[in-house]
Amino acid sequence: MFAEQLINGITLGSIYAIVALGYTLVFGVLDIINMAHGEIFMFGAFVGMLIATKAQAPLWSAFLGAIAVTGAMGYLLERFALRPLRGRPGASHLASLISTIGVSILLENVAHKIFGAGNQLFETPFAEIRFDVGPVTVYLVQVLILAISILLMAGLSLWLYRTRAGKALRATAENLETAGLLGVDTTRIITATVVIASAMGGVAGVLVGMAFNYINNQIGLSMGLKGLAIIIFGGMGSVSGAMAGGLILGLSETFVVAYGSSGYRDAIAFIAIIVVLLIKPQGLFGQAAPEAQR
Amino acid sequence: MPFDWLNPYHLQVASFIFINILLGASIYVTLSTGQLSLGNAGFMSIGAYASAILTTRHGIPIPIGVLTGALLAGISGVLVGIPALRLRGVYLAIATLGFGEVIRVVFVNWESLTGGAVGIAAIPQMGRETLAALEKAGFSAASVGLRNNQFISLTVFLLLFAAALLSILFFLRLSSSRIGRAYAAIRMDEAAAEAAGIDTTYYKVLAFCQGALLSGFAGALFAHATSYISPADFTYHRAVEILVFAVFGGSEHLLGPVFGGIFLTLLPEALRFISDYRYIIYGALLVAMMIYRPQGVIDPPLIRRLAGRRAAEGAGR
Repeated sequence: MFAEQLINGITLGSIYAIVALGYTLVFGVLDIINMAHGEIFMFGAFVGMLIATKAQAPLWSAFLGAIAVTGAMGYLLERFALRPLRGRPGASHLASLISTIGVSILLENVAHKIFGAGNQLFETPFAEIRFDVGPVTVYLVQVLILAISILLMAGLSLWLYRTRAGKALRATAENLETAGLLGVDTTRIITATVVIASAMGGVAGVLVGMAFNYINNQIGLSMGLKGLAIIIFGGMGSVSGAMAGGLILGLSETFVVAYGSSGYRDAIAFIAIIVVLLIKPQGLFGQAAPEAQR
Repeated sequence: MPFDWLNPYHLQVASFIFINILLGASIYVTLSTGQLSLGNAGFMSIGAYASAILTTRHGIPIPIGVLTGALLAGISGVLVGIPALRLRGVYLAIATLGFGEVIRVVFVNWESLTGGAVGIAAIPQMGRETLAALEKAGFSAASVGLRNNQFISLTVFLLLFAAALLSILFFLRLSSSRIGRAYAAIRMDEAAAEAAGIDTTYYKVLAFCQGALLSGFAGALFAHATSYISPADFTYHRAVEILVFAVFGGSEHLLGPVFGGIFLTLLPEALRFISDYRYIIYGALLVAMMIYRPQGVIDPPLIRRLAGRRAAEGAGR
């Protein structure tokens, strides 16, 4: 059914978009690919599961719990794995890449230790509530996921483009040193960015749990890879690119699975970026980077 | 038996060290032109699958299978390297990582050729094949005081040792040749290198091809050392592991990835007694390493210091 697949695709795509936003914020400010983002996202999903399913607490508390835990993880990541590398002579961009990879290996195995390797059920009390709009069936969960994603994206855009702090963040992204000279507390902005990006990952984790009803310690990896593909596809550091890229990927995956072969589902993201990069190396929404940029 | 201390398991770990050295070197070669390729797990799988299919299904001898696998990987390196010229930095890294993932998904889905997710089993094992050939000539492992499984593991160990040693020597020589100097010039400043008359396109694609060839070679050897491969051997984790060998060991000198391959293969084994926590420690160690020594353990000053001390000792004698 076309309309239902469309809704499925948009739901999935909006989750992808939120994950990709986490990457793009950090990249925009720090020029770093945060390879630990997928694992932080996964912890959000697990915390949500513990609160919503194990403790049977209301869903909003699951979101709050996930945001608190992943936000704190973002702070620790910035404080102990990124900040010590900053401004060090001899620390190439490879160093921060490896450092975040180290954090991701650590987190993946901590999750394995705590939660085990198998699938964990993520139940929500209203998982079966659905409406029939004409011939189309819409689940309440899908509406919720979409509403939360749109709220989150709108909130982020407002914050980025309408507030002082958002302006400071954009200035820092533009040029760290100049922003610092002009009186922006760049250390605080960087910390805030990593914390916000991680908390968004945490929200996305709970949304994934709601959408798929199960989670395991591998979702961080697969979601992380897709998030990476999306930011390349949409253009590094581009907020609108991450949103559009997420939606496009969600829709194309859903339709390929529905009308084609499910086996190639996980390759779509990368086939798309390889094609896009060959045609437009800076991504769909990216601005042409100056040659000197690595 | 006189060689009871020769433990096949230890030999196997040691054999994996050599494969990992080859893999670490493979990413180093491309990196020495300033291109970060994360596609080496993909090239490795091309080499491994090509050799495994040729030897297992078509009865081709192992050496020819390995060479064909490495060559095929090298050719795919050229095919990836040419469009990759347009990309740099993280874009190149993620696109090549994507290449590896696409290859893996193709291997999972192309069941008639690759056996799908199950993979290919009963690949001729180089040690066992050597023993079988020697036994035909009237040799037996017992005649040199070894059990059969000891002899097999020892053969694998020695063959891989030779493969790694020869490859490393080759690339060490290369680094002080015309090609190696061109690579270094491109890494330092591509525009200046081009202005100095270096054909940067040619050398960048050549480096890509060499890196792919080397990882395909390592992959083919891996297939004939373990005699079983599946797409799970060539995932994102493998790509990251290869990168870590080079960056942890040191990405500014070829001996860096060699050290990284040795150390990081042994580390999880040494931490086996705290098996549940070893990868947590491994991850934490990577972070600490990047904070305190971001250029990796081995860097050119360290090598000069070690070499200088040796030279001084030689002079004092």
